[in-house]
Amino acid sequence: MTLDVLLADARERLATRAIAEGVARVAVDVMQSPLGPLWLAIGPKGVLAIHYGADANEGDLRRIVARYGPGVLRAPKRLDEVKRELDEYFAGKRTRFELSVDLSALTPFQRRVLAATKRVPFGRVRSYQEIATQAGIPSASRATGNALGANPIPIVVPCHRILGSDGALHGYAGGVDRKRWLLKLEGVLR
Amino acid sequence: MRTFEDLVEAHGREIFAYALRLTGDRDEADDLFQETFLAAFRAFAKARDEHLRAWLYRIATNKAIDARRRRRRPLSLDDLELAAPERDGVTTADVAAAIRALPPHERAAFVLRRVQDLPYDEVARALECSEEAARKRVSEATKKVKEALS
Repeated sequence: MTLDVLLADARERLATRAIAEGVARVAVDVMQSPLGPLWLAIGPKGVLAIHYGADANEGDLRRIVARYGPGVLRAPKRLDEVKRELDEYFAGKRTRFELSVDLSALTPFQRRVLAATKRVPFGRVRSYQEIATQAGIPSASRATGNALGANPIPIVVPCHRILGSDGALHGYAGGVDRKRWLLKLEGVLR
Repeated sequence: MRTFEDLVEAHGREIFAYALRLTGDRDEADDLFQETFLAAFRAFAKARDEHLRAWLYRIATNKAIDARRRRRRPLSLDDLELAAPERDGVTTADVAAAIRALPPHERAAFVLRRVQDLPYDEVARALECSEEAARKRVSEATKKVKEALS
């Protein structure tokens, strides 16, 4: 057995113990997906971040540390459930996520926008205007676009289901190609 | 150094290697690694970036000495292979046994300097002693290891 294998085991046990004892509060890991690697974070109240890429997003990490302190550790097993639901979604076997999401570090407006977005069902789309209205500020469709652009939990909070009033894809934090791929998976686009 | 993960990523490997060399046993090394980092996490706010490495060695050394006082276990050959460095003409088991025979503070000083290759100022910081005392311990330990291997 090599040192690296022993070390990997020791790190996994350390993370599990640190989280169980409340010394650390946030588990992170990276999973592979059809859209490339996804950086995942989960805290005591639910999923905190899903980021396109193998490394943490600077903004996500700053927000997580500000909310929960420096107790962030790589703990693959703690994220098994998140990975399982995402794998099922990508395989076309899941249309609804059961995962809790933690939006507590966001502003009240961002939380309202993302809560409205989370209610948009699989295979359906809404306009920025409709989401702004549901968030309680019908005139704020541009601010709604900005809040969706900063969505820390894409896919599970399905901001890819929000389009322009003319049906145009507009932007997506993970890139418009990924937005198109997700909408094809859900049968919205061909 | 913003998160616990940064700390483990930066120093986990060498602290784990140190734990293996210091204990000569993979289960004890695993325990020592966990106790060291859990203590470090609890004191994270007080840690000063420039001395993190020596600080972790100091925690590991103190935890190892505490653990040694509480328990003793026989060594397995597999663990000795992992624990000891290679030396010409001498088996790794011989070296590990010689290191294991040293008194705790000399043993820690010897491993930090001769195996982990830390400079004397970091050895001194890790062992909370003067640089002169660190040199003396390493010198004494080296003499004993050489005698044991001759």
